[in-house]
Amino acid sequence: MKMTEELWLVVAIAAVWAALAAVYALVPSLGMPGYVRVWGGGAALFLLLAAVLAAAGWTARRG
Amino acid sequence: MDCISTPVATADTRPRLTARLAALPRGDASLFRLLFGAALLALALGLAGGFVTALARARALNLFGDDAYRVLTLHGVSVFFYWLYLIQAALLLVLAAAENGRGLALRPLAWLGAALMLAGFAASEWISAIGTPLLYDGSPELAVDDPRSVGVFALGYLLLSAGLAAAAVSGIATLLQPRRRGEAEAFSAIGFALFAWAGFLIVSAIAATNAFLPGLLWALGAGPFPADHGTEWHILFHNLHYLPLMATVLVWYVLTQHLTGVTSIHGARLSKIVFAAYLVFVPPTSLYHMFLEPNLSESVRVVGSLLSLFVSVPTLAAFAIIVSSLEASARARGATGLFGWMKGLPWRNPAMANMGWAVVNMLVGITFAFVLIQEKLAPMLSDTFFVPGYFHFFAVGVLTQTFLAALMVILPALGGGALWRPDLLRRMPALVTLGLLIFGTAGIAAGVMGVPRRVFDVGYGGMAPAAWPVLMALVGVGATLFAVALSVSVYGVVRTLLSRRAPATAESRRVDWTDGQRGVGAVPAWTGPLSVAVLIATMYVATIVAFEIIQSLPIVAIGGGHGH
Amino acid sequence: MSERHVTTRRGFIAALGFSAVSLYGAWAAYGAAPLPFGGHKGAAASEPDAHDGHGGGHGGHGAAEAPAEPAGHAGHGAAAGMTPEEFRSAHDAFVERFTQKDGSADPHAAVEAHAHGGHGHAGAGHDHASMGAAMVAAAEPVDVYLMAQKFAYSPDVLRLKAGQPYRFRMMADDITHGASIQLGSASRIIRLRPNVVTEQTITFTKPGAYLVYCTVYCGPAHDAMQGRIVVG
Ligand code: HEM
Ligand SMILES: [Cu+2]
Repeated sequence: MKMTEELWLVVAIAAVWAALAAVYALVPSLGMPGYVRVWGGGAALFLLLAAVLAAAGWTARRG
Repeated sequence: MDCISTPVATADTRPRLTARLAALPRGDASLFRLLFGAALLALALGLAGGFVTALARARALNLFGDDAYRVLTLHGVSVFFYWLYLIQAALLLVLAAAENGRGLALRPLAWLGAALMLAGFAASEWISAIGTPLLYDGSPELAVDDPRSVGVFALGYLLLSAGLAAAAVSGIATLLQPRRRGEAEAFSAIGFALFAWAGFLIVSAIAATNAFLPGLLWALGAGPFPADHGTEWHILFHNLHYLPLMATVLVWYVLTQHLTGVTSIHGARLSKIVFAAYLVFVPPTSLYHMFLEPNLSESVRVVGSLLSLFVSVPTLAAFAIIVSSLEASARARGATGLFGWMKGLPWRNPAMANMGWAVVNMLVGITFAFVLIQEKLAPMLSDTFFVPGYFHFFAVGVLTQTFLAALMVILPALGGGALWRPDLLRRMPALVTLGLLIFGTAGIAAGVMGVPRRVFDVGYGGMAPAAWPVLMALVGVGATLFAVALSVSVYGVVRTLLSRRAPATAESRRVDWTDGQRGVGAVPAWTGPLSVAVLIATMYVATIVAFEIIQSLPIVAIGGGHGH
Repeated sequence: MSERHVTTRRGFIAALGFSAVSLYGAWAAYGAAPLPFGGHKGAAASEPDAHDGHGGGHGGHGAAEAPAEPAGHAGHGAAAGMTPEEFRSAHDAFVERFTQKDGSADPHAAVEAHAHGGHGHAGAGHDHASMGAAMVAAAEPVDVYLMAQKFAYSPDVLRLKAGQPYRFRMMADDITHGASIQLGSASRIIRLRPNVVTEQTITFTKPGAYLVYCTVYCGPAHDAMQGRIVVG
């Protein structure tokens, strides 16, 4: 499957957010668990959007 | 890749935005008009609240205690939450439907979203009017003995976020429709920006839930007291002022294309990267809101300051793309002189005037924002009137004027009426900017001197410097000017929304730079780099002045946070 | 097809986006640059905000998690993590010990000047000893306690001396407040979270009467929340 620029931009967003959420999750002394929930949730959302984006192209090519 | 040159600016081959809007299904248009109307109502309420607040702070109105804070709460809640989010939801849906060309997908979800947001609007306004004044951040500790206020206040924002998320999902589905049908392989730059923005709206809904659900649960007796509201609020708040900035730049793209026919001469891919950059840079740049928190460790403080330097990257890049594309296209058509190309822009159109002045306000606002991101200056500026003094350049000058500009184009196309008195409306943005400059200069000076925000009598029984009340009176003067001018713009837009006149025969003329001669970009385009150079120079001056002042204070203080 | 001028090329546009990062130069000139390169801390001698002397800090909410030390110990050590309870009793002792006839608190007042007679409990007595010791060595900071609550400070007037470092220990008792000091051309803003002990070592370099005021909205009488530091 072709990785379009749009797809990898969305994946890049998810990756940066996930990395940030991971830092706050793994260093609890930073004292901001809210960051883990919000940016972690955001990372999951953008991964989902990437999947939706890929699926839409795929549907089109099949149909 | 840097030497690619295009013989002509890439033109949008589709019908103009207004034509696509006029062709939208009836039902969609009603939804959009409902959302636009609600957003404008929130703006009108908020403007009234802001005006009264400013007069009270200037001591032109004798308002104190709970009454004063109730008005301030109504201002912040109406304008920062309901105006900005209702208008964003509406713009997302309209622009997505126009991209799609066939109206909304998942239409019932969009209506559900609208209903939820309106319910939230009603709840928030009601509790702000009668409850314990919580200001727009709704901190539960202010009403430990009044769980009803905390609960209803939180409920309002939670409904707003749920509605926002529902609308965003409908927007995303709408944007994906052409692709599912196999009609499009990729998004346009604007389509991609809308897609990313919709995702960001949902993330903000997550942040709002994270911040306000604990308050609601506590009020219902179903959870512990939300002691950490401050931190969770910062996360939401950072999202909330990044998000409308991204929406603003997106609207600039849309309007530039509509008013001049010019799209980016740098290709859609660079624009897509810039819009994605908004999302990439949001989380890492958020720490500067917390510099005064006693619990923040020194290392986080330092890293936060450093990362915040990147806060303007996407905005300045988008600014450079738009300005260089316009300038290069105009020059390809024969414009000469350093700024001569600007004369070709359709300034007689109020939408253009609002957008143009919004750009000026953005440059002023960024200058002062960068004084605030330096953690060593936070102990002088945070929590002072410096903050409202500078951010109204953004809130009013940039965001509000840009969204009004969008409405001036969209509403006539949707409703078929003509824009109310364009010759009057196009003069307002300069007045708004002048008022903001008075408000901002006096407010920033007051803030530097230590005038606190959210205080109505700054006399402190004669202990405060004599300059404080004088500066606050000037704030009142500036506020009056921009409040009046902005109200005229809002009135014009509301009249346009309500008008049912026959469609205007002659659509606003647009400059036509699409069919330029050969060699777009062959000659220099200095406006972008020059503006940025001026911006950096003023940022240096502002930062240096701030450092000089803080170093001259008759105090030596060690240790910002608590002793660890 | 003609070449593009540099100002209309993509790389140039992208670089413009990053241009504001160059403000780092101004920070470096004032020793406020967070990275090692560029700028020396020496330039910022009058704003030494760094946590010198608090080396080996434990991250996180030190105040809340610090092991309960015997009252009176908290103070002159390097790790000054203080629990809210310790703060409250030290504050009460401070007020009781140093309140003058006019209601102001003067940490330099001799023991005899004390308005009331005997001292309450042992813990407070212990504290007095360490405060006394601090006064002997001039370079040693003198402890000062400031509690913020709706809508006042305790003590609300402090009498201090110019040139003498004070270790301000501050805490909000009920909800979040500020304790900002107006210093003429600008203020020094301090935000106080409830039950978090904030510590700053502060030296006033000029005599004068300085306004202390609340900078965090805390309720209807927020405007009226003020105190005074009189530096002689
Ligand atoms: C008629 C136009 C407006 C006037 C006269 C006005 C005036 C003011 C004043 C004087 C304050 C300072 C309150 C204080 O800290 O003591 C304030 C706060 C604020 N304004 Fe405005 N404003 C106007 C429009 C807007 C708009 C359009 C927005 C946003 C889109 C906005 C957002 C805010 C926010 C978020 C605050 C902070 C509220 C708080 O601290 O609780 N204002 N406004
Ligand atoms: Cu207070």
